[in-house]
Amino acid sequence: MSPTSARVHKPPYMLAAAQLRSNEGQFAAYNSAGHCVMLAGPGSGKTKTLTIKMARMLAEDVKPPRGIACITYNNQCARELKRRLKTLGVDDGHRASIGTLHGFCLKHIVLPYAQLAKLPKTYPITVASTVETNTIQQEALAQTIGGDHRWERFQRYRRIILDRKSEEWRTKDERAAQVIEAYESILDTKGLIDFDGMVLIGLHLVKENGWVRKALAARFPILVVDEYQDLGHPLDQLVQCLCFEGGMRMLAVGDPDQSIYGFTGAEPRLLRELSERDEVQAVQLRLNYRCGSRIIQASKAALAEDRDFQSDHDEPGVVYMNECPSGLAAQAQSVCDTIIPEALARRDGRKFGDVAILYLDKNDGNIIADAVARKDWQFVRVDGNNPYQPSPVTYWLEDCAAWCAGAWKDGKIRLSELISRWLAFNERLDSPEQHRHARIQLVSFLYNHRAPDAKLYDWLSGFLTHGLQETIDNEPRLRDDKDKVENLLKVTSAEGQLETVTVAFFGGQGGSPDHLTLTTLHSAKGLEYDVVIMVGLEQGRIPNYRNLTGHPLTEERRKFYVGLTRARHEVHLLYSGHYTTFTRRGPWRHDDGRSQFVDEVESSLLGG
Amino acid sequence: MRLSRIQIENFRNFAEVDIKLGENAVIVGENKIGKSNLLYALRLILDSSLPDSARKLRDEDFWDGLPRPLGKDDRIVISVDIADFEDNENQLAVLAEHLVKPEPMVSRLTYEWRPLPGLEGEPKNDSDYEFVIYGGGRPENLVSYQVRQRLPMDIFPAMRDCEGDLMRWSRSPLRPLLDQVAGEVETETLEELAGKVNETTAELTEIEEVKAVATAIEKKLVDMMGKGQSLETALRFSPTDADKLIRALRIYIDGGKRGINDASLGSANLLYFALKALEYEQMVADGDRDHTFWAIEEPEAHLHPNLQRLVFRNYLRPRGSSRSDAAKPSSTVLMTTHSPHVASVTPLRDIVLLRQNEDGNATEAVSTAEIELEAPDVADLERYLDVNRGEVLFAKGIILVEGDAERFLVPVLAKNNGYDLDELGIAVCSISGTNFYPYLTLLGPQGLNLPVAALTDLDPRESKDGKERSPLGYNRVVNSMIAALIDDATLKSCEYHELLSNAPKYGVFLNTYTLEVDLIQSGMATRYAEAIRDCTTNKKMIAWFEQLTDDISDKNAIHLLTALEGVGKGRFAQRLASIIEAPGNTACPEYILKGVKYVANKCQST
Repeated sequence: MSPTSARVHKPPYMLAAAQLRSNEGQFAAYNSAGHCVMLAGPGSGKTKTLTIKMARMLAEDVKPPRGIACITYNNQCARELKRRLKTLGVDDGHRASIGTLHGFCLKHIVLPYAQLAKLPKTYPITVASTVETNTIQQEALAQTIGGDHRWERFQRYRRIILDRKSEEWRTKDERAAQVIEAYESILDTKGLIDFDGMVLIGLHLVKENGWVRKALAARFPILVVDEYQDLGHPLDQLVQCLCFEGGMRMLAVGDPDQSIYGFTGAEPRLLRELSERDEVQAVQLRLNYRCGSRIIQASKAALAEDRDFQSDHDEPGVVYMNECPSGLAAQAQSVCDTIIPEALARRDGRKFGDVAILYLDKNDGNIIADAVARKDWQFVRVDGNNPYQPSPVTYWLEDCAAWCAGAWKDGKIRLSELISRWLAFNERLDSPEQHRHARIQLVSFLYNHRAPDAKLYDWLSGFLTHGLQETIDNEPRLRDDKDKVENLLKVTSAEGQLETVTVAFFGGQGGSPDHLTLTTLHSAKGLEYDVVIMVGLEQGRIPNYRNLTGHPLTEERRKFYVGLTRARHEVHLLYSGHYTTFTRRGPWRHDDGRSQFVDEVESSLLGG
Repeated sequence: MRLSRIQIENFRNFAEVDIKLGENAVIVGENKIGKSNLLYALRLILDSSLPDSARKLRDEDFWDGLPRPLGKDDRIVISVDIADFEDNENQLAVLAEHLVKPEPMVSRLTYEWRPLPGLEGEPKNDSDYEFVIYGGGRPENLVSYQVRQRLPMDIFPAMRDCEGDLMRWSRSPLRPLLDQVAGEVETETLEELAGKVNETTAELTEIEEVKAVATAIEKKLVDMMGKGQSLETALRFSPTDADKLIRALRIYIDGGKRGINDASLGSANLLYFALKALEYEQMVADGDRDHTFWAIEEPEAHLHPNLQRLVFRNYLRPRGSSRSDAAKPSSTVLMTTHSPHVASVTPLRDIVLLRQNEDGNATEAVSTAEIELEAPDVADLERYLDVNRGEVLFAKGIILVEGDAERFLVPVLAKNNGYDLDELGIAVCSISGTNFYPYLTLLGPQGLNLPVAALTDLDPRESKDGKERSPLGYNRVVNSMIAALIDDATLKSCEYHELLSNAPKYGVFLNTYTLEVDLIQSGMATRYAEAIRDCTTNKKMIAWFEQLTDDISDKNAIHLLTALEGVGKGRFAQRLASIIEAPGNTACPEYILKGVKYVANKCQST
């Protein structure tokens, strides 16, 4: 070694790796050299391990100009990974491409190669907005089987049976095949591509063309997949094709027990089978750093399967049972009047941001949100009835608002990151001069609007006139975001649900210590809280009365399991023993008792 | 990896060119034709050291032929196609996003200087323009700086100062090579050697006379600056630091007798190229870049012609290698040259010719990369270019002839008739035989598209076994001459006799018998007698020549040819040429004069 290189500073990932050394599974994953599946239970430090391993591979295994592609479940997960990687000195960009499955397929497969592979498409390809896909779905139904149908059934069919030439595709659900074929042909003639289309066309290109696999493997010798259990058949096939035929090295991370997107075509067995392949090193992360031992015991009972998880906590945690006989509204009231105030008081420094209320669907969300709003507490709501729906642009707007509300002082959000994300949205700006102009426009707006108490409506409408409107109007890939931003403006205007909301409130939607979290069980995935309050736990709702046996029941179990395992210290289970559905003949009360999962948890805890 | 194609629109001398390239490119053309502009066009895309400010062009960078003021649709577009990279994963990683052809893979990088999008009205000045560099022919697919950094173009301009760079350590191409080594040698080894150097140096500086010099210097400095400011000078070979020992090495020539400053300019250039080539190879090996596009302007500067041929023959194509070799070179050489010596040893497929277009308002480019020629033909042509010093590449027009006799006589006959071929830039080239096909393919419209005519003999044959035989010249004209000049489809659609009678239209000129017979028939019987007297002492032969008349009989024609074989057709032609050379002496076989006129007309029209 030369004298000059003797004083080399260790890169951040090497320092961080010291934290993995004492955990057998984490360290095995850190040292893996070939295909590797990391099976990671809740709170097992999977994101930490994944990001440190990625930083290591970028430094040691993959030399410039080649890089690593990382696919994850949604934009939120991607945002979290990027944030964690940044602390390890890895910037998202050319060498580490982090994004969603459809983002990866569109950017790295469809746009560069669809035309070269002579796929019969109209170019340039435009991404269909939600409004357009909805219209086309209706058209497709009208053209084929007619009538009113839930689109999920067809979507699931499209995602599960991938071989269009197969007997299965034509015969298993003949009507679904008809509808989907009509739907896709309408999209095609309009030159549009939808989110599933990006993935399906991407998969097709990779399967059919050796040169596409070769090009991808050259650019990304390593493919990392996070949340594998949620990504379904198309991803599974893409991984098999790229990694076992195309020569890419795979690092897949996930937890079959947390697979709760069965209705979109995800299946826990895909990850399990992948981990059982001969050429794959499977690593199990057993230590749970999040949940207290009693919470782990409760979650195992809910899963009804034995898992070799161990808590790393000194505190066992507490599971509280709360019966509120008069229904969900009473549960909500009890949460706001008693449970939350007591929970906050029980531990020093505990804030609203440490507490989450988990429920089954957006209707429950309305009832909870009303109760919380009456208390005048700040909260973040994540469900289908959220006054505005998230999209990459609304996430980015939240961060801009957080910057304006104070992050410009403490540096929690970097202006440079806001700028680079903004420029990435603005694909039509393709010269340094235009980029300079866009940058100046954005910075001057943000700088001049650093006021936490300004009304969100004023802030947002000002933003729209400073380039935002022009961008969402003109960027073909932001058409869906355009609807969402405009809807956001509507709900913040007079008479809207968020009329009184401030920039600081909106900025806190991306996660803030002062905001209580209201979320559906599905959307709680990947998050963690000191205190988790689960409401509406009635037999017939969870498990749903249609899913009382077999695979459907195990999927319900996993959903409940995901909820429980969000908690570090406290779980509150609320139930009334009955629930009401609204039928054509009016409300119908079901007295089926509390959820069987609550029974099972209770007897397991009593027994233990 | 190689550049397979360059396309330029509206840039400086170039209105629109589309150049296919071979392995490397040797760009040949007159002064001011745009050789440097062609390289500059490539730098706009590939040179990582070129600042973006230099990528902003100006009104005067638009091709002159574009009407001013410039309109909204006028833009400068330059693109390069890159091929043969798919087996190198690093290169593929850089270029995979920019494919325009999948199998085999070809990627395209494009530079565009265009009016700002959304500009209202017509562009008024340079600030209404912007540049973009995009890949795969998709304007939305911007090419990052990374591509230029991984596949950079390095330019050695014509006005380079190799000697200066070699002398100044901070710029010396030797520096990175030694730096690399210095980092790899064991510290102990270096310390041991430094100790030895120190001992020897100490012995040397202890010599009284040397010591005196050192003391004198130090004293003078102290006188000038005072004791506090002493520089602590010492006379040494190298710094005392073991760490700096290797970096203190310098290059010497002539077995260590002379330093670089004593090298000739030419040798300094060569040394500089060699060191740079090593540095580039090192950078690729170290993973700092994946390929080098090496642009050299006039590499021949200051080199003796013989050395030029020697060096560049090996440089452009190491002997025994070919495109399919596993170890692909890590650099592509693009050079401009005025030197026929360099051009003459250039691999045939690497030649790019720049010249004025027919309208005289732009530069056009032709290249040899994709001319349809079989491997043996390519080898023959390369040998031909080598032996004839690449003359065809520098001529404005070419008259191809069968042998030396024509080569001596045609320029004289032309001059006698008012066509000074030297002045016109027309070369008369002998192919030493009758296989015109490869030459005409290379030079004619299917190849470099130069003004070219070919003169050939009818070569009638006597009947055999009572059967008439057609002259050899007919088949030659159709199958090995016209066939090389027109495309296959046209060739197939025409009748044999049609082609034969249209031969002069294509630039193919056939005589009525054979050169020597046609000459005498044009009125040179007395000149023949004069010439033969200088070639032989054989009185019988001289007498036979003296009785010849212009209207020579068939029998005498055969005899004449046999006789001339004996004395040497070339020698005889050389004599004859001297004898007939005189203004106003217009006797000349018709086919020769037609050929001369054909090429002269074509040359004058450009």
